[in-house]
Amino acid sequence: MFVARSIAADHKDLIHDVSYDFHGRRMATCSSDQSMKVWDKGGNAEWNCTASWKTHSGSVWRVTWAHPEFGQVLASCSFDRTAIVWEEIVGESNDKQRGQSHWIKRTTLVDSRTSVTDVKFAPKHMGLMLTTCSADGVVRIYEAPDVMNLSQWSLQHEISSKLSCSCISWNPSSSRAHAPMIAVGSDDSNVTYGGKVQIYEYNEVTRKYAKAETLMTVTDAVHDIAFAPNLGRSFHVLAIATKDVRIFKLVPLRKDSSSSAPTKFEVQVLAQFDSHNSQVWRVSWNITSTLLASSGDDGCVRLWKANYMDNWKCTGILKGDGSPVSGQPGATNLCKNVPNKQLLHSKHTKT
Amino acid sequence: MSSGYKPDILWSPHHADRYVICDTELSLYRIGPAGSSETKAGALPLSEETAATLLAINSDTPYMKCVAWYPKHEPECLLAVGQANGRVVLTSLGQSHNSKCKELVGKEFVPKHARQCNTLAWNPVDSNWLAAGLDKHRADFSVLIWDISSKFSPEAVPAEKVRLSGDVDSGLVVTKPLYELGQNDACLSLCWLPRDHQKLLLAGMHRNLAIFDLRNTSQKTFVNTKAIQGVTVDPHFQDRVASFFEGQVAIWDLRKFEKPVFTLTEQPKPLTKVAWCPTRMGLLATLTRDSNIIRLYDMQHTPMPFGDEVEPTIIERSVQPCSESIISSFAWHPSAQNRMVVVSPNRVMNDFTVFERISLAWSSTTALMWACGRHLYECAEDAGQGVAATEKDIATKMRERAQSHYGHDTVQVWRNHVLAGGDDPQLRSLWYTLHYILHCSQYTENVEQKQQSNKQSLIYSGIKNIVKSSSGTTETRRCWSGSDRQTDVPRYHSEERSLALQLCGWIGRGPDIDVEPFLKSLEQEGEWERAAAVALFNLDIRRAIQILNKGASAEKGDLNLNVVAMALSGYTDEKNSLWREMCSSLRLQLKKPYLCIMFAFLTSEPGAYDAVLYESRVAVRDRVAFACMFLNDAQLPRYIDKLTNEMKEAGNLEGILLTGLTKDGVDLMESYVDRTGDVQTASFCMLKGSPGEVLKDPRVQCWIENYRNLLDAWRFWHKRAEFDIHRSKLDPSSKPLPQVFVSCNFCGKSISYSCSAMPHQGRGFSQYGVSGSPTKSKVTSCPGCRKPLPRCALCLMNMGTPVSSCPGTGKANEKADLTRDKKLAQFNNWFTWCHNCRHGGHAGHMLSWFRDHSECPVSACTCKCMQLDTTGNLVPSDSV
Repeated sequence: MFVARSIAADHKDLIHDVSYDFHGRRMATCSSDQSMKVWDKGGNAEWNCTASWKTHSGSVWRVTWAHPEFGQVLASCSFDRTAIVWEEIVGESNDKQRGQSHWIKRTTLVDSRTSVTDVKFAPKHMGLMLTTCSADGVVRIYEAPDVMNLSQWSLQHEISSKLSCSCISWNPSSSRAHAPMIAVGSDDSNVTYGGKVQIYEYNEVTRKYAKAETLMTVTDAVHDIAFAPNLGRSFHVLAIATKDVRIFKLVPLRKDSSSSAPTKFEVQVLAQFDSHNSQVWRVSWNITSTLLASSGDDGCVRLWKANYMDNWKCTGILKGDGSPVSGQPGATNLCKNVPNKQLLHSKHTKT
Repeated sequence: MSSGYKPDILWSPHHADRYVICDTELSLYRIGPAGSSETKAGALPLSEETAATLLAINSDTPYMKCVAWYPKHEPECLLAVGQANGRVVLTSLGQSHNSKCKELVGKEFVPKHARQCNTLAWNPVDSNWLAAGLDKHRADFSVLIWDISSKFSPEAVPAEKVRLSGDVDSGLVVTKPLYELGQNDACLSLCWLPRDHQKLLLAGMHRNLAIFDLRNTSQKTFVNTKAIQGVTVDPHFQDRVASFFEGQVAIWDLRKFEKPVFTLTEQPKPLTKVAWCPTRMGLLATLTRDSNIIRLYDMQHTPMPFGDEVEPTIIERSVQPCSESIISSFAWHPSAQNRMVVVSPNRVMNDFTVFERISLAWSSTTALMWACGRHLYECAEDAGQGVAATEKDIATKMRERAQSHYGHDTVQVWRNHVLAGGDDPQLRSLWYTLHYILHCSQYTENVEQKQQSNKQSLIYSGIKNIVKSSSGTTETRRCWSGSDRQTDVPRYHSEERSLALQLCGWIGRGPDIDVEPFLKSLEQEGEWERAAAVALFNLDIRRAIQILNKGASAEKGDLNLNVVAMALSGYTDEKNSLWREMCSSLRLQLKKPYLCIMFAFLTSEPGAYDAVLYESRVAVRDRVAFACMFLNDAQLPRYIDKLTNEMKEAGNLEGILLTGLTKDGVDLMESYVDRTGDVQTASFCMLKGSPGEVLKDPRVQCWIENYRNLLDAWRFWHKRAEFDIHRSKLDPSSKPLPQVFVSCNFCGKSISYSCSAMPHQGRGFSQYGVSGSPTKSKVTSCPGCRKPLPRCALCLMNMGTPVSSCPGTGKANEKADLTRDKKLAQFNNWFTWCHNCRHGGHAGHMLSWFRDHSECPVSACTCKCMQLDTTGNLVPSDSV
């Protein structure tokens, strides 16, 4: 059962992204009004805006938190072709407003020639690394060699995906059995360009990222992509927001450790839902990757859950304004039957 | 209806619930909520919530080419219709009794030369002015501005007029326009400029856009462009104009009219309509021919003024209002946010709202935040009681279990399943298995120390390995107790088999193989059928009957058990008896699995017990115990192997009984984790394993790390610390090394070197040094060089001096606070310092100082010690 309540955001334009920190006690929002806000959860479970500042000279697409062991660090990306790393500082101004925190710009990453469409920190076991992707199809991986000095970032890798990139997601698995892996989605709507989701894997031998997989069945524009928290599982799960919600399972096939070829995967479609009846805009996993939330152009937020047989179904629908969908009085806890059951478990292996 | 004539749609400028569809006729609709009393039975559904009612039809004006709605309130339903012959007719929809309206309706404005009328536009201020754009006719003017209030003109041609309106009043035909513009040209589209109502933007055939000022028609500013169709002004930004040509939209800034500010990405098909959203700044909707997609361009924060090197931000998206069907035209709702009505070529209408794109995120504590437009919504999981346990997400379950100390009961290990909620049969089986394993291993440890290493590891290696190592099996044929007949049921015994039975929990540890205590405990729990079955398998039919009787007479007992007992008492081992025949057929109808297997056992041939062994509703534990008693050395390993693989495949925790805590067990647990994500159970289970073996498996380490990470993310830091303590007891290698050393200012040696030799509890704080040696008498000076330690910034005593009491400035309740908890009093003695300014003192003193101050207590130090670490300011969510 989920009950929604509204928070006065006070942004002057569309909010493009919301992001929780590791503990879920802080939140950052970014907007077309070129500003960002940081929110802290008070003792009474209310969200208080503790910082609001102008960040970019264009719409701010995405905002993301670094793991708290690197400090209070945010990264944002914008239409103005830059990504910026922000750090919260304490105590330098004279307590002018109580309860307000101060964020300063540590670095501006200006390598992109086009709009930077997504920014993500790598999983913490890889160190302090930041990834951006841009509309010209380049994924850039930066590293801060000195975690104490966030103004120094070196560009470690540049991956050219050849398609306009819209979103990236790191595989969060910290298992040593899994090489660092990043999935890139493209919003290019030309179906003839083939698969719109590419997966790159780091190769210890060549010290480069190489393409491990292209999901050839996803040919429409991809708006969002999210690896599920791995939680010690032996496979990876990837949710994709395209013209429908899709959940893929990537089972790494055993490979001989000597070979430097990328890992091969058995790719299975776990679920495919077109109940948004329109383009799907965002997908997000909960911490145990047992619940998936998606939003679509139908103005609804849908919640998905798998049962023990890996059958995914809808467990809730909420309208964008938090009101329940008509026909479902009160909290939404209704299950709509999956229309495409035959798609479940439709395995296809690619080589 | 003429084919090829696509309906257009026009919204009333003043009635938010009315619009007109025009194809060969004009139809006025009212839009209202579906199913309300206002909407009649004939209403057309537009969406799930809205429906349209047809109010009026006007088919007086054939050959319509364009329509414009009178912009003023009165008369309300006045429309100007431009016709294929260039005439402009005023007409109305619905019965308006307004005298002005009556006077105007039917009025015609006739150009000198007949040609198609392309576009019409009312002047937004002087509403008597109506501009009409016409096709080219030699050197004639193509833009005529009519004054609708002008009267009769003598040049009118009565014949034509009669045919069109049926009104014989010749005063209704006007042939003299107020202004004539665009000589020797054609006009494809035009619009009045809202900034100056005397100005008009014309788009002509000669590939140019031109701005005319009516006060001086000879002057014009113009620009050459192909984009001369559908000029339209942004209602929110009056210098911004859109126009299009084939698939391309050009956006103009009237202040820098030389070239388009930018052009939008070209569409493969020609555009048919381009419209600015009246409710939102900078939102442009475009439609191409034969398409089911409306493309939206959000030019929200275009840097102004245009033209600098900065490209404007355009968010492009497309919507499909009526899935696959083609859209003929659309119109924005004048007031409702982002709403439009679309119409298909066959006049199917659809009410449609363009929703803002929602971005969303889950928090670590299963709260969902989303942003819709400019608003934020948080949606928290309702922790109400209404949610059935099976419906709960594993994240919620793990949080609840962590708080109930799940996994921490190391004495009565089986109780952990109760801590987990007690409603999961697999967890129940798992913890009983672990309980029996630990018990047996403790027993063997005490009794048979000689062969300990061998047998010890055997216990942990699961029944699968135990039965494989079985040797010296003896076969006995026992009598049925309570029956004097000899049976031919062979039962097998060996040391390993009894160990397996112990692990199944059927018999106690030690040499005796009495099943009676187990039966008693089953009876206590009210598991009558199961107890009866176990008694029966121990060939004690009388006891089984007795148990069933007891079950029938117990509170809430099932009287049917008596019937079963009766059936049981008739047991006969004659092959062809009626009893046998009936039992083997009727037992399949028994719903209770244990009753079913009882009769299956009694009616089976010795050695052919598949009906018992493969009854999946019976606990694995009981089936395995049964197999250990009645399967011979050839059958038993085969059965156990098969069952083990089944369990591994399914990730069924009952199978841990078979695999034990071995690599097999880790495999099984892996598929359990793959299936459920329950790393908590996996971690605790593997920590029970015989030291060091399975824990080295990288998968186990991965589960443990993931579980610890979950606890950290939930701010269950105390639980995490408890888990670490629990873990280090079983896996000493996981104990972290001391993290902080305080070295003496003078000699550089660690001041705690004397204590480091002592076994001291793993305190995993990164910020606080530990001075407390349990045997310390006086540590106010360095144990190496005997120089005094630094002083506490507050009491100015050397560190190591016990805290006298609270500072005098302390409040009364503060005192009570500090003395209340003796454990905390010890903590007050600790050294603490700010890692930034390196000032510090007694922990208790520093804490009470920072309760009222934000800056360091040392003079002239402005360090805000307490605020430096944001994570440090978070409160663990599991401290009560």
